[in-house]
Amino acid sequence: MTPWQSTMTGKTFKFVPVTIPSNLSAQTAYTSVSARRTLEQPNAIPPTPQPAKKVAWPAPVREYVQRSFAPEARIPGIEVAEMEIKLKTVITEAAESERMTEIDWSTLPLPQQLIQQERAMASTWTSQGPVWDLPDTNDFMPMKKRKIEDNYVTLAEATSSGSPPWRKNEKNNGHADRITQSKGQASKAEKRARKQQEALGKGSSKFQQQVEQRKRRFGYDQNDDSPPPWPAARDASPINDEPIGPIVGTCQKLEKNYFRLVNHPKPEEIRPQPVLEQTLLLLKEKWRAERNYQYICDQFKSMRQDLTVQHIKNGFTIEVYELHARIALEWKDLGEYNQCQTQLRALYSLNLGGHPAEFLAYRILYFIHTCNRTGLNDVLADLTLELKQQNPLRHALAMRSALASGNYHKFFQLYLEVPNMGAYLVDQFLTRERIAALANICKAYIPKVSIKFLTEELGFESYMEAHDFLAQQLEGTSAEDAINADEFVLETRKAAPVFEAAKARAFATVDIKGQI
Amino acid sequence: MEAILGLFREAVAEENGHKLAQAITPVAPPDDAGRLYAFHRALNVHNIQADLRNEIIYKNSVRLARTETNAWIEVFTCYWRAIGELLAVDGAMNQGKRVDWKKVYEAWKELLNALQRGYTSNQFEAWTIPCLYTSGKYLRNFALKADEQARSVEGNVTYNQGLQDDVVSTLGKNENLQDAARQINRIFGLCLSDRSALEESRKWGVYYVTNLLFKIYFKLNSISLCKNLLRSIAVSSSDMPPLDAFPKAHQVTFNYYSGVLFFLEEDYKKAENFLNEAWSSCHKDARKNRELILTYLIPCRFVTSHKLPSPALLALYPRLECLFGTMVRSIKRADLAGFDAALSAGEPEFVKRRIYLTLERGRDIVLRNLLRKVFLVGGFDPLKEGQTEADAVRRTRIPVAEFAAAMRLSLGQNNGEVLDDDEVECMIANMIYKGSMKGYISRERRMVVLSKGASAFPGTSL
Repeated sequence: MTPWQSTMTGKTFKFVPVTIPSNLSAQTAYTSVSARRTLEQPNAIPPTPQPAKKVAWPAPVREYVQRSFAPEARIPGIEVAEMEIKLKTVITEAAESERMTEIDWSTLPLPQQLIQQERAMASTWTSQGPVWDLPDTNDFMPMKKRKIEDNYVTLAEATSSGSPPWRKNEKNNGHADRITQSKGQASKAEKRARKQQEALGKGSSKFQQQVEQRKRRFGYDQNDDSPPPWPAARDASPINDEPIGPIVGTCQKLEKNYFRLVNHPKPEEIRPQPVLEQTLLLLKEKWRAERNYQYICDQFKSMRQDLTVQHIKNGFTIEVYELHARIALEWKDLGEYNQCQTQLRALYSLNLGGHPAEFLAYRILYFIHTCNRTGLNDVLADLTLELKQQNPLRHALAMRSALASGNYHKFFQLYLEVPNMGAYLVDQFLTRERIAALANICKAYIPKVSIKFLTEELGFESYMEAHDFLAQQLEGTSAEDAINADEFVLETRKAAPVFEAAKARAFATVDIKGQI
Repeated sequence: MEAILGLFREAVAEENGHKLAQAITPVAPPDDAGRLYAFHRALNVHNIQADLRNEIIYKNSVRLARTETNAWIEVFTCYWRAIGELLAVDGAMNQGKRVDWKKVYEAWKELLNALQRGYTSNQFEAWTIPCLYTSGKYLRNFALKADEQARSVEGNVTYNQGLQDDVVSTLGKNENLQDAARQINRIFGLCLSDRSALEESRKWGVYYVTNLLFKIYFKLNSISLCKNLLRSIAVSSSDMPPLDAFPKAHQVTFNYYSGVLFFLEEDYKKAENFLNEAWSSCHKDARKNRELILTYLIPCRFVTSHKLPSPALLALYPRLECLFGTMVRSIKRADLAGFDAALSAGEPEFVKRRIYLTLERGRDIVLRNLLRKVFLVGGFDPLKEGQTEADAVRRTRIPVAEFAAAMRLSLGQNNGEVLDDDEVECMIANMIYKGSMKGYISRERRMVVLSKGASAFPGTSL
């Protein structure tokens, strides 16, 4: 047994259910879980999924609840009570929507993780708001250099340092704040005093009001007037502008969920390269066995993050990005794929190995798909003569030039022999190119073309596939009767305008989530 | 010191902006090579304020307001510091030591900021804007030098240092140039947002600064940012002087970059208009600029009107002849193999100038010329009874095989590849679809039927 396998079965492994106390495991299926919790946490309020009817919770749900209360799963800054409320909503929602058995409870994030995600989201939102829209301040209006005592920055502190004094009263605040201001009719001196207070981070009424609003918006406990326990948005604090030296991780767990970093990570949360290498093996195995893309993508993102904070850039980094790119391609997650490819482009320029020819070929196909001319020009500029002679690139370049010259004949011939995983990308724009070719053919050939001819020219696998494709394209249009089934031909005059219009639609902006 | 501050006083007396700008240039004039050095030596940290005050107030025939004087003193203090850094780099280079352009860049940025403060607090009048030109121009130069230096030391990849998810931040080390772009963008705002009456408005600086930013954004490959500038200008166009009221130099550069922008967006019609405009106002001796304009105008016309540059025009510009000569001749000869060879031979240069993807489309003209030749060679239909020579009609039904033969001939096909008839049909279909050829293909008869009369190949007198 290899070392990494042994850790899988150990208790460091996050998703393995914690050992169930013997008294509990002896209980029957309908035992309500709250009983056990009161034993463990006598002080906690029990807002548990107390079923109105006697409901037998399925075993995965019970395990989920147990995991939520496991001491290892505690996340500092999230109260047990808060977690319980979240847990209750999760389970109630599942029960109400009758998805109890559909949900994969073993991979569902724990309630505390959900809360953490929400908070991370919340801080991302604020970071996009006008509050952090810092102007290019130079020494023109020097900002106070803020001393950072620890890396725990509250929102209030961050605001006071993050935005110059004249802005605070102008754009940053919503209308509500202006109303308060006029109601107060503060004298100039008072205003100044308040401003100073704000600058000190004590929180003026105005500021607090904002915080309150935000809290309410995200449903946090309103009675809790302590500063929000989560760290400030990452853009909020100048801390992030300071380069942090490479962290040397000490974490030995193989798996880790991805969370966006909002503060300098602790070494014990970061996995060093030897551990990550084992993680990669594990993930490969899991992908093969389970095909759970959500899980794999999440794990890969956390790997990338660990590599980044440790400034690891070597052959292994490339391996991680290449594998993630391949999996994303397979799942047709082009947004994630594109992030990897952007990274790979830069990493290849360092000559660290990997498969530049294969991935540059994908890059070309990707830019064909997104109709990105600037990008294409950049790839062409990146290619060396040596690279161009390698098979994947020769092929991708041939495809590109065939499309550029309208040579659909050659394009669809090349489509039949796309190397590696390029076909996943070509599939993305295959229909579009078929429509474009049909627009072309219908205008040039008169009066008809045989469907047999179209099958060969447009790379269909069978006559029927071609026929069905045409039928589907023409369905509900003015040219519905353009297919002559007796002669098995397409009447081009009728079909031409339909395909012309379809072509224009198909080439209208290609929108991809996460494209850079 | 006298040389520089004397120039300053003169310029202020004459309200001559360009002269004023010469007082803050980081390049010594050829007739006074030691000027910067002398200026730097004449002052020192302790007495600089007092000395400058003396020069700017007491020796000056023009009385400046106290606040304006202070603003100028600050400008010249920054200038003095920047010159200090520059001389240090100069000295280090002479001794073969390690130089630090980053310091020069930072010091020069201070100068730009000092100027900017002067404008935002309305101390400096609009006639002084050439100072912004000079400081902006050299800010770009120093940024380029600093980046180049960073690249040679740290490599060409910028890594993420903060709390980012991914390893690499950007490919290419351009931090200083990016920073310079931000600084100059503020100058752009400073000029564009000036609401004073036109005759004393900083709006007259808009196009110079825009051009400077274009230059930087092109270098940074952030073409989309250029569009933002055009949009900002368009928005305030109602209270801007018309473009042709600006100096010719600003106009030509602006039209050139706008043309290239549309070119890159494949809006060749608009691109051609802008480039033509630039071409017609460009000074006849500005060879380099004319060459640059033609670099884009020639491919542009391939696409818009299938027009080629004349040999006489190319002969005037050896670099362009080198770039396009072979290609143009093979287009004329309808030589597909020659065209393909020229395209791939010039690829690195074409890609660098971002014209490759457009030139590629020149192949359509080669093809058109080739098919047209086939049509010509086909001659006339035999005369029918009662017809005379004058009634002769060109043969308009041409077997695909004839076109295929011509294409095989033109391609040379010595690389073992065989062009099959379906591909030939595909290329013909393209010609018809794009309107270079009028007619249709009859798939059943394997025949191309061309339009009768004088319209089979529009625009070519056939």
